[in-house]
Amino acid sequence: MRSGAVIYSAGGAAMKILVIEDDRKIAQALRKGFESERYEVAVASTGSEGEALAATRAFDLIVLDLMLPGRTGREILTAVRGRRDATPVIVLTAKDTVEDRVAGLDAGADDYLIKPFAFPELSARVRALLRRGAGGAAGAPAKLKLADLEMDASRREAQRSGRPLGLTAREYDLLEYLLRNQGRVVTREMLAADVWKETRRATPLDNVIDVHVARLRKKIDEPFAVRLLHTVRGVGFILREEEV
Amino acid sequence: MMPASSVRLRLTLWYTLALGLIVLAFSLAVFLFVKDRLSHQFDRGMAKEFATLAAEVAEDAGDFAEIESPSLFEVFQGEASVFRSAHFRKAGLPESPGAPAAGFRTLRARDGERFRLLAGRVKNDRFLVVAQDEESVQNTLRTLVAILGLALPAALLLAALGGYILAGRLLAPVGAMARRAGTIGAENLSERLPVGNPEDEFGRLAAVFNQTLGRLQAAFERLQRFTADASHELRTPLAALRSVGEVALQEELDAAAYRDRIGSMLEETARLTSLVESLLVLTRADNGRLPANRKLTDLGALVGKAVEDFRVLAEERNQILTADLPAGIEVSTDADLVRQAVVNILDNALKFTPASGTVEVALKNRAGVLGIEVRDGGPGIPAEDREKIFERFYRVEKDRPRDAGGVGLGLAIAKWAVEANGGFIELESREGGGSTFRIILPK
Repeated sequence: MRSGAVIYSAGGAAMKILVIEDDRKIAQALRKGFESERYEVAVASTGSEGEALAATRAFDLIVLDLMLPGRTGREILTAVRGRRDATPVIVLTAKDTVEDRVAGLDAGADDYLIKPFAFPELSARVRALLRRGAGGAAGAPAKLKLADLEMDASRREAQRSGRPLGLTAREYDLLEYLLRNQGRVVTREMLAADVWKETRRATPLDNVIDVHVARLRKKIDEPFAVRLLHTVRGVGFILREEEV
Repeated sequence: MMPASSVRLRLTLWYTLALGLIVLAFSLAVFLFVKDRLSHQFDRGMAKEFATLAAEVAEDAGDFAEIESPSLFEVFQGEASVFRSAHFRKAGLPESPGAPAAGFRTLRARDGERFRLLAGRVKNDRFLVVAQDEESVQNTLRTLVAILGLALPAALLLAALGGYILAGRLLAPVGAMARRAGTIGAENLSERLPVGNPEDEFGRLAAVFNQTLGRLQAAFERLQRFTADASHELRTPLAALRSVGEVALQEELDAAAYRDRIGSMLEETARLTSLVESLLVLTRADNGRLPANRKLTDLGALVGKAVEDFRVLAEERNQILTADLPAGIEVSTDADLVRQAVVNILDNALKFTPASGTVEVALKNRAGVLGIEVRDGGPGIPAEDREKIFERFYRVEKDRPRDAGGVGLGLAIAKWAVEANGGFIELESREGGGSTFRIILPK
């Protein structure tokens, strides 16, 4: 998957991500995934190695597994924050209890993801944190555009080739989310959490999401030659010009 | 067996201590009573002796030597001692400076012996003092103390021994229960403790313990069935994952086809993930680690949102989805949990209602309780399945293809979510006539 907008640091160099994860498969997958999105990636497979790297080199973001041999993720996090190092940290954890989340966030994590997570979701969280770090909280643009599909978020209107699409409120929210993430895969979990505001992960919304996507596709794609809304089987959906 | 014998020891000790105190008090009373009686008797004897002697002393001319008496006596004329009997002199009593006051008193001789003295006027200024060795009384009392002192510990020892044996016999059922309980484990949970006399304390204890064992056994069997079901449900997507991957590796495919295979594997992964997710919710619910987080919630709005979320599904299948939701019904409850329950039941209702059937949702405000009703147009649930459909992995239609439904955890989660809020789910169903699930919440 090619990524759309790549975020660069102020100097124009690629952003550096430190991945501290002891499972080699996950670590390699994250390295390849982030590298395909043009980040510079360093991988540490033990807690002490990760802590040493975090202490000696500057990173723009750290992806930290909580369960590590040697030093635990919690200890590394405490050490990093103890140095008054404000590098954003995303915690990965296989334990998803409220206490674990609270403890992780209390120790200074900026965000957490529960294993198994979808890579597109991790990638979206990384982008959000890096944007925040780069002072990119200047507000989301009101005008969104992909090919001949245009949206005016301030007036909640969308049109393609100048023709209004007549979207329902939910379809509009869905399209806006897809447009803001254009060029990137969006998972059903992301849609459930961000568009449907569903807080519990075990809620059966997948069918509901699929129907809405199908209806949205009918409105924005069916009358036109170029399809924009694609399904990535097993992962989710992507809004972009080229075929998948 | 250590705890039982320590109870046995403690019982014996307490028993012996109590008995010891009682016997001690009793002995003291006996001693005091006997002592009092003896002194009384002694004094009466002396008074008699005094009267006999006094008569003789009164008639005597002046030297008193003829008076024959084994008693110790002394005669005063005015303030001066005029006569002392031979025994009196031998006794070594301290000399009185003048005539002693009338009445009884006790003196100690030079060798430490105790003497009882009785003084009194005989006639004019002649006084008589009679003395008697108290040793006989003292001896009797000493013997009594010796007897009591020997008998008391011996009796206590016997009582303690008896008590120990008795306590041992009484506690024997506890030992038997403990031994049997020690052998009961996961593999023989069906065994029970022996119930001696069901009316006594130990019998009741054994009965209560047996009831606990029964509940444990039921829970354990449920768990075993659950584990078996869960592993079956986990194996199926794993098997699909594996065979799709293996077959794809054997084939020569183009990039698009490989992508399709990977996508198919990811679909199975998603299924596995949501299964594990649901299992985790239930496991944590079992452990009571997901407490309800109550706040004032507008139930109509909550149910309305769930209905609107699912309306598209109904429209796709030409089902009619109606909602009768009066506004302003507020209740303190965990909105997330209630929503989860409503969504799961609604999902279920839509799944089982045929195309162009009807699903009706209603919110009812009745005395004391609130009811969220979901009436589906499905085939109804046979009576024998009505309890079981809330069990994990239970499916009414055994031969339904797997893809048609979820994994069979939705209603189990709904049941838990409602119960965590202090409510329950009612089910009304007629075979062939649809089912009504009613979530009852306390106000």
